[in-house]
Amino acid sequence: MEFAPIFWWTTLWLLVWGIVGSIGTRRIYLAKDLDTSNAVLMGALIGASLGPIGLLFLWLKTPEASKKLIILPSLLTVGILMTAFALADPENNCVSNSSFVLSQITNGLIIGIIYGLMALGLTLIFSILGVVSFSHGEFYMIGGMITYYVTVVWFPGISPIAGILIACLATFILGALFERLFLTPMYDGRIERPVEYGILVTFGLAFTLMYFVQAVAGSNPVKAKRFFDFPRIRFPSKEDPWLIKTSRGNMELFDTVSISNPRFIAAVISILVLLGLLFFLYKTWTGKALRAVSQDREAAAIAGINPHRMNMLAFAMGGMIAALSGATLVQAFSWLPHVGLIPAMRSFVIVVLGGLGSLPGAFFGGIIIGLVEAAGTGCVPDPQKASSYIPAYGMIVLTLTLLLRPTGLMGRRFASGTHGKL
Amino acid sequence: MKTNFLKYCLMAASLSIVPFASAFAADCVHKVGGLAPLSAPGSVVGGEAMRDAMLLAERDVNAAGGVLGCDLEVVITDTEGLPEKATAMMEKLITQDGVVAVGGGYHSSVGVASKDVANARGIPVVFAETWNDTITGDKQKYIFRIAPLSSWASGVIWQFAAQAPGVKKVAIVTENTDYGIPAAKECEVGLGTKGIDSVTFGVDIGTQDFAGIVERVKAENPDYIIVLLTGEAGFNFTQQAADAGTGPQDIMFHANQAGLESKAYWENVPDGNLAFMARIGVPETMYSESALKFARDYKAKTGKSGVESFALEAYDSIGILAQAINEAGSTNGDAIVSALENISYDGVLGRIYFPYGSKKDPSADGKGDEWWHQWPDVAITMVQYQKEGEPSNTMTIVYPDAYKTGEPEFVD
Repeated sequence: MEFAPIFWWTTLWLLVWGIVGSIGTRRIYLAKDLDTSNAVLMGALIGASLGPIGLLFLWLKTPEASKKLIILPSLLTVGILMTAFALADPENNCVSNSSFVLSQITNGLIIGIIYGLMALGLTLIFSILGVVSFSHGEFYMIGGMITYYVTVVWFPGISPIAGILIACLATFILGALFERLFLTPMYDGRIERPVEYGILVTFGLAFTLMYFVQAVAGSNPVKAKRFFDFPRIRFPSKEDPWLIKTSRGNMELFDTVSISNPRFIAAVISILVLLGLLFFLYKTWTGKALRAVSQDREAAAIAGINPHRMNMLAFAMGGMIAALSGATLVQAFSWLPHVGLIPAMRSFVIVVLGGLGSLPGAFFGGIIIGLVEAAGTGCVPDPQKASSYIPAYGMIVLTLTLLLRPTGLMGRRFASGTHGKL
Repeated sequence: MKTNFLKYCLMAASLSIVPFASAFAADCVHKVGGLAPLSAPGSVVGGEAMRDAMLLAERDVNAAGGVLGCDLEVVITDTEGLPEKATAMMEKLITQDGVVAVGGGYHSSVGVASKDVANARGIPVVFAETWNDTITGDKQKYIFRIAPLSSWASGVIWQFAAQAPGVKKVAIVTENTDYGIPAAKECEVGLGTKGIDSVTFGVDIGTQDFAGIVERVKAENPDYIIVLLTGEAGFNFTQQAADAGTGPQDIMFHANQAGLESKAYWENVPDGNLAFMARIGVPETMYSESALKFARDYKAKTGKSGVESFALEAYDSIGILAQAINEAGSTNGDAIVSALENISYDGVLGRIYFPYGSKKDPSADGKGDEWWHQWPDVAITMVQYQKEGEPSNTMTIVYPDAYKTGEPEFVD
């Protein structure tokens, strides 16, 4: 960094006024007997972005913490931070190289969508059963492993879509069976401590699956072939394909943004699945029933929904969604029995960031983590450190968010917690 | 009735003998530990190769009469490539399994962490594939190594990069481990002496998604990329770089030697043709009789088309310990160390000996401490895949001239 003090002083300014804003706003709102649930976040963001003047207005007017009063100052804060960074390090690729910035944003969005899909499965399970599934990463691993075996070992030449569908079916059945056999004791009071039981039993499943696959398939890294090659495209002209240029494994947009085939295909499949999932959750009776149970189990039961059946469906679907993420990525990453550990950890970060039990929160949390990781990897000046701290970037965002809003970005204050019981 | 009674008595007597019989057999087994990463985040490709090689060594030693008239048993243990696991496994091997010496070892971090345990307990270790200089640099009495020094192996890597045409800037992608960090530093310094700029990217072992790092590497616009990532991380980076148009077919590219397991390499890095790799040991065409026999047995056992350098090293780490125990005439740690310091072992890697130790300090020849108990004649070559799907045993040796079998193919 050429002019590092600019950046650090600005960061200090943002932090100081952010802290003053969060503490002061809470006290003033409490003194006026106003809702403080979002006021702390709003106060911190207005303090960071507008400093003492903004805070003065906020404390005099004490408006309700609306989305507008949270989103605008947060964008302004990010803008101030980016400007300070640009002034401090004008030679940085994130400042001087627009093609690099666009590529990083695209990469962040793509991986964020895939993270989001995986985290969606975890949050679906939590919102219905109140259980944090520690076997989520292993469902992800199994999904990739089954797709690999189906498309490469057992039926070489078969359509990868068939491989993905078989992986989904197998993991759905596995999830349903596991829920029926091991999670039902949580619902009828047979277990004194359902939270701990849920954690332990899903941990047990995780280890069983991991070592079962290791025993059966070995620990050598495997990888499925690219699902589909890009067709050769040169547009608008062969001589000057500035808009889009593709090779089998890569796509280049506007002569700047480079997207690899496996990640692009994985993201497209994830988006399609997300749309299908949204349709299922918001337009079908079963989907609405699932959402109803996640919001209020007792009311849902009174309305004729069988919560136990929804428990089974949620766990099976949650596992299947994780498996689907794995199935789409087995063509992008080398696959091992332990491959699910890091994505599982990332999913936990995302669901807590997005808000435990919030489906949109999980998706947006995934995108935020994807973008933040891409920004950290791309912009931290020291290359030795930039890529070493990848897991830390998400944790910083999570910590800051939880400090200001303990329920996460879109979480409800009393999300689930009934652990499958009526 | 009498007959039945006698029959039952005989059966009972024979059954009662069984445990004693096994106890007699167990008394005549000498155990040697074998360290290998058999689970992630360790390099499982390397670990499985080393395990197979060490078990072949056990078989061959026993076929040749065993050690001190008893069978040799190699107790393979999974280090996962993690220092904390390595320390625990070394403790377990010594205190629970009762090994008299230890061979194998793939990751440097495993060697660095576990050597102190073995040394404190007086158990000799011959590390097979751990490169970090400090492993022997601490001049510990019980620690030996037949792998090359990191500074030495890295020297071959950067010297080859430095003599490649038009190289002005090198990007080094390394793991944050006891292997990766010093190896990257040595490459940086070495390249610097030739006036070549370098930039190093550090990643944690087990990283999967390299998209952001690949973009950053691309933005540096390097002429040559050196990947010092072991296991599947190396595969992931190489293929993701290739997907982004900066792989071995787009830029001069040094991939990690895990790629010498060609089946795994081509499955995981289908666009990895033209990658360079460092290989320990002489080329197969120059193998000795014993190395050829080992290569035949190893290929038959594993179904592989070639022998990885770490398999050769693992085999010799057990073989040399067996010979040292026989020459010591005892399983006492001090006696084995004394035998190792005086050994001349004809292994599959060549004649192995340790010129520096308690008899002669490396400084006597103006060498650094890292040469303590270090085999000095390791052959290191640079090889290159020049055909897609090519097995590793036909890879072209492109450096140094003494072993060269073909010209390197440099991409623009």
